[in-house]
Amino acid sequence: MKVSLKWLSAYTEVPSDLKAFCDRLDLTGTGVEGVEKTGDHFDRIVVGHVLTCEPHPDSDHMHVVTVDAGEAEPVQIVCGAPNIAADIKVPVALVGAELPGDFKIKKSKLRGVASCGMCCSKRELGLSQDHSGIWVLPDDAPVGLPMADYLGAGDTVLDLEITPNRPDCLSMVGMAREVGAMYQQPVAYPLAADVEKLAGVTAGEDVAGAVTVEVSDAVRCPRYTARVIDNVKVGPSPEWLAERVTAAGGRPINNVVDVTNYILYLYGQPLHAFDFAKVAADDGRAHIIVRAAAAGEHLTTLDGEDRELTEDMTVIATPERAVALAGVMGGENSEVTEETTCVLLESAAFERGRTSRTSRNLGLISESSMRYERGVDDHLCEVVSQAAAALLAEVSGGTVRPGVVDVYGQPTEQVELSFRIPRFVGMMGAEIPDDFIRDILVRLGCAVEATDDSAVLRVLPPTFRPDLEREIDLYEEVLRLWGMDRISPTLPGGRERVGSRTPEQLTVRLVNDALRASGLNETMTYSFAEPGDIERLRLPAEGLGVAVELLNPLNAEQSVMRQSIVPGLLRSVAYNQSRGVKNIQLYEIGTVFFAAEGRKKAKERKKLAGVLAGAMREPAWNAPAVPFDFFDAKGVLENLARELALPKVRFRALSAEEAPHLQPGRAAEMMANGAVVGWVGEIHPLVADAFGAEPPVVAFELDVNALVKNAQPARPYVDVPTFPAVTMDQAFVVGEDVTHEKMVQVMTSAGGKLLESVALFDVYRDEERVGAGKKSMAYSLVWRAPDRTLTSEEVEKAHAKLVAKVEKATGAEVRG
Amino acid sequence: MAIAEELAALRERTLAEIAAADTSAALEAVRVAVLGKSGTLTGYLRSMGSVPPEERATVGKTVNAARVEVEEALAARKAALDAAELEAAIDAAAVDVTLPGRAQQMGTRHLINGIIDEVSDIFMGLGYKVVEGSEIETDYYNFTALNAPADHPSRSMQDTFYIHDLSGDTSRVRGESDVLLRTQTSGVQVHTMEDWDLPIYMVAPGKVYRRDVADPSHLPQFHQIEGLVVDKGITFGDLKGTLDYVCKQIFGPERKTRFRAHYFPFTEPSAEADVSCGICHGEGCRMCKGTGWIEILGCGMVDPNVLSMSGIDPEVYSGFAFGMGVERIACLKYDVPDLRMLLEGDMRFLRQF
Repeated sequence: MKVSLKWLSAYTEVPSDLKAFCDRLDLTGTGVEGVEKTGDHFDRIVVGHVLTCEPHPDSDHMHVVTVDAGEAEPVQIVCGAPNIAADIKVPVALVGAELPGDFKIKKSKLRGVASCGMCCSKRELGLSQDHSGIWVLPDDAPVGLPMADYLGAGDTVLDLEITPNRPDCLSMVGMAREVGAMYQQPVAYPLAADVEKLAGVTAGEDVAGAVTVEVSDAVRCPRYTARVIDNVKVGPSPEWLAERVTAAGGRPINNVVDVTNYILYLYGQPLHAFDFAKVAADDGRAHIIVRAAAAGEHLTTLDGEDRELTEDMTVIATPERAVALAGVMGGENSEVTEETTCVLLESAAFERGRTSRTSRNLGLISESSMRYERGVDDHLCEVVSQAAAALLAEVSGGTVRPGVVDVYGQPTEQVELSFRIPRFVGMMGAEIPDDFIRDILVRLGCAVEATDDSAVLRVLPPTFRPDLEREIDLYEEVLRLWGMDRISPTLPGGRERVGSRTPEQLTVRLVNDALRASGLNETMTYSFAEPGDIERLRLPAEGLGVAVELLNPLNAEQSVMRQSIVPGLLRSVAYNQSRGVKNIQLYEIGTVFFAAEGRKKAKERKKLAGVLAGAMREPAWNAPAVPFDFFDAKGVLENLARELALPKVRFRALSAEEAPHLQPGRAAEMMANGAVVGWVGEIHPLVADAFGAEPPVVAFELDVNALVKNAQPARPYVDVPTFPAVTMDQAFVVGEDVTHEKMVQVMTSAGGKLLESVALFDVYRDEERVGAGKKSMAYSLVWRAPDRTLTSEEVEKAHAKLVAKVEKATGAEVRG
Repeated sequence: MAIAEELAALRERTLAEIAAADTSAALEAVRVAVLGKSGTLTGYLRSMGSVPPEERATVGKTVNAARVEVEEALAARKAALDAAELEAAIDAAAVDVTLPGRAQQMGTRHLINGIIDEVSDIFMGLGYKVVEGSEIETDYYNFTALNAPADHPSRSMQDTFYIHDLSGDTSRVRGESDVLLRTQTSGVQVHTMEDWDLPIYMVAPGKVYRRDVADPSHLPQFHQIEGLVVDKGITFGDLKGTLDYVCKQIFGPERKTRFRAHYFPFTEPSAEADVSCGICHGEGCRMCKGTGWIEILGCGMVDPNVLSMSGIDPEVYSGFAFGMGVERIACLKYDVPDLRMLLEGDMRFLRQF
C-alpha cells in the first residue's frame, strides 16, 4: 500500500520527523517497506522558455529549437512534437535527467543536428496518458524552476506492509484513522463532504428505470449496488486526480477509470465502471445478474487474457453473457472507452474466500481481489458509491441518475464484545490505564459503553474491522498502540517444567559425536530429488515405496522428495572434486520420504548417510595420505557401533544382485541384534560416474530408527584384568573363501573362557609361498584367566586345541 | 715379583684404555677384555691356584685391588659416557617445534545444526523440552488448526509446496492439495497441545519449505525453531522477557531487543522481534538498512482459537509462541554471504565451523 504523505495530511496531521513517524508505524504494526521522495524523478527537469523554433533542415516534421532553461546559455534541442512553437513555456528534460521507464537524457544527434535535452509531454513525465504533444505550460511559469517545485510534487510516499487482517488500512481514510489513533489526534473524514456533492449533479429519471439487478446467491454477493451516470465525456483526468492516482501507485488512464481507482485508494471500496451501452439489452435497460459462472464459460478480462471459468467463480452478467469476474477484474466486452457516454457504476461486496480462490485459481491478483479477499465493508458500499458517482459526474461533465439499485441480501453484523480490563492488564503484564483503553477503541471506530461492572467495557467494533471478532482482538489493538516496548520483560514463573531431550534426540547426538570423532564433516543437501535418482543410484527399490511428488516444484531436477540421502551426497562429492577438493568426508542425518498409493501422508524416515573420497588428509611430512577404501567406512560404523553399544554387530557380504549400487566384492550389510541397520560399500564406479563423482567413493546409509532401537543405554562394567596375559601369534593358511568372521567364530568357540581376545594383524598372499587361491591370516591371540596366572602348559594346551579346531573347521594349515 | 709387575702393567694399561674409550661400546670391549669370562684380570683371579701359597695373599690382594680400581674406573667412565651420550641423543632428537603436529582429523558440525544445538540448549536451561515434527504436513496442521482456515488471506504470505495427494482427495483450488511440505514449524504447536499434558514448555527445531528460488538470500528449504508455552498466568511480559534473554544469549549481552506489532493468524497479539544491529549498534548502517535493528523472529500470545481447537480452555490457560529462522541467525552471526553455501557440501566451507 502506497501512502502519499501529502494526501494523508489532508485528513490528519503527519508528523514532521519522518524517521520517528516510520518507527512508530513499524512498532504499531504497519511495516514501512520503503520511503520514496517523489520529486526525485524530476531531477534536471525544469520549466523552459522556447526562444527560437526553426524547421529541421533534414526532416519534414522535426524542429530545432533553442530553449532558455534558466542556465547561462540557451540549450539547443531537436523536437518532434507537432505543437512546438517559439515563445511558449514547456517542461525541459536536460542532459542527466531520467524519465520514467529508465529513459536517460543524453547529448545526441538527430539527423545530424545536436540535441541537448528533450521537451516533454505529460506522458513522458509519467503524469498522464496524454501524448498529444508537448505539455504547454502557462505563460507565468517561472523559467528554470525545477518541475518538482512547479508541480508541488515534493511528496513523500511510504510503501507500507499491510497485514492480511487489516483490510481497512488498504485505504487512505483507514490509514488516516490509524495515524489518528497512533498519535491520539483528530481525523477529518472526507466522506460526508464528498457525498454532499451528489445533489448538485443529479439529474434525469430514476435509475430503477435503467437497471435491474438480480443476485442469485447472497453468500457469494452480500450486496450489489448500481448507479448510472449519463452524459459522460471520457478524457484525461484533472491534474489533482491524476496526481493522487499516481501517488497511490496507479497509472492514470482516463477520468472514469481514474475516479474508480481514486475511490478505491481513498475508501478501500473497489468499484467497477461498465459502459452502459455494452451491458444494456434491446429494451434499453441493463439487466445485471450476479451468478455462479458456468463450468467452462469463457471471459476475456481487461488485461486481454481469455479466462476459462469454473462454477466456483462468480460473474457479473447480462442475460446473454458474463461481463465481469466478480471482485477480481472487469471484462473486455463491457470496458469503458473514449466512446462511452453512459456509465453503470458497480459498488458491491463479494464473498472473501471465494474471491481468494478465484484469484489463486486464475493466477490473477488485482487491487480489487486483494481487498475483497481481506474483506470489504458491505455497510459502506452504497454511500461510497454516492461519493464516487458525484466525483465521476464532476470530472466527466456528466449527471447522475437519481436513486440507486441496491440488492442487500446479507448484511454483516458486528458482535458486541466485552472488554474485561483486569484480564487484559493481567495478560499483558502491564498497568495500562482505563482512559487510554477507551480512547484508543473509540479512535479506532468502536462504540464503547460502560457496564454495571466498572471493570468491564461493552465494545461494538466498526463494520470495517472484520478482524475485531473477539475480546482478544481488542486487546491486541490497545497493546500495539500503547506500545509493546513499554511492557516490562519478565520470565514465566511456572512450577512444573523440566527441560529435556527425547531418547531419540540423545541417541542421534551420540551418532553425531561418533561420526565427527571419526573425522566426518556434517553437511546438508536438498530434500528434493530428481525423478529417477534411485534408478540412477541403482538402489534396490524394495521397501522405498514411491517417490513423493510435488505439485508445484521449482524445477524438474527438484520435483520429487528424496528416498535416499546418497544421491545428494554424491553430488556434493562431484561439487568438491570439480573444484579441486579431493579429500571428502561428509555425512548427513536427514529425512527421506516414501509415498504409497491410497495414503495421504507419506512416510518419513530418518537416515544417516556418509561418503568418503580421496583420503582423510593431504600427505603430511610425518604421515602418509592413505586413500580411503571399504574399511575406512566400515571403521566409521564400527566406531558408531561401539559408541551406541549396539549388540551383536556383524557385516554380511552383499552380492552383486543384492547391492547393484555397490562395487561387487566391496559391499556389506550392517546388522545389529539380528536386524538390518543399513549398508556400506564402495559405490559402483558406473554409479559414481552417473552422478559426476570420480570413483572410488565409499558410502554408507543407515536407518536411524534401527540405531535408536538397538542402542544400549550403557555397557556393563567388566573387571580390569589383574593377572598377566600370554600372547600367542598364529598364522593360518586358508582358502580365499574362508572369511575373517568365520575364523573368529571358530577361534572364539574353540578358545573358551581363557581366550580373551583375537586380533588379526596380517593378511598375506603369495602364490609360491602360500599357494594359489589361498591367503595367510595371522592372528594375535591373548590368553588370560581372570583369577590366576596361567601356566605355560595350560596356554600351550589350549592353544594347540584351538589350532586343531581351526584346521578341522576351515581346512586351514598352520604356517610356520 | 713377576706377577706383581705384570699386574701393575695390566692395571696401568687398562686404566689408560678406560680413559681412552670414547663410546659405551669401546668401554664395554675394554671391560670384557679385562673382566669378562676370559678377561686378562679374570685370568689372574682364576689362576690364583697356581700361585705359590706364600705369595697368594699378596698377589690376591694386588689382584683384588686392581679389580676394584678397574671396576671403579669403568663405572666412572661409563657414567661419564652415558651422560655424554644421552646429551648427544637429546641434542640429536631436537625438532623444529613449528612443524605441524600429528593428529587425527576431527569432523565438524554443520553450521545450522550447531546453531540449533546452541539455541535448544538455551531453552533446555529455561526448562523447555525439545521436540520434532514431520516435514510433510496436512493442510489442517499447517494452516487450519493455526487459525488460518481455507482461503484465509494469510496463507498467501507463504508460498507453499503442495504434494500429490495419493488418497484420492482433490483440492478446490487448482494446483493446491491437502498435503504439503510444512511452511513453518508451527504445526508442532498443535500436535504438542493435542498430545501433551499441561503445562507446555517446548521448542521444536526443524526443516521447513517455501517455494522460493534459491539465491544468495533465499532457500526453498531452511530451518526454524518453534517455541510454545502454555501455562496459567502467562503474560506478554513473559514473552518479552524470555525472548530478550534468548537473544542476548545468542548474540551477546550488549544487544537490545524491540518488539513490533505484527500479524500471525495463530497468535494474538502478535509481534516481530528485532535485535539491535551488531555492526552499527543501533546507529543505522547498510547491514540493518539504516534502521539500527535486525528482524529476528515472529512471536505472540497463543490465539484463544488455537487453544480451543486443541481442547485447552483459553479462560484458564494462556501462552506464547514464537518462531525464529536459523539461517537468519547464521547470516547475522557468521556473515555467510550466500545461503546456498549451506547446501553445497563444499568441504572448504563446512570445515570452517
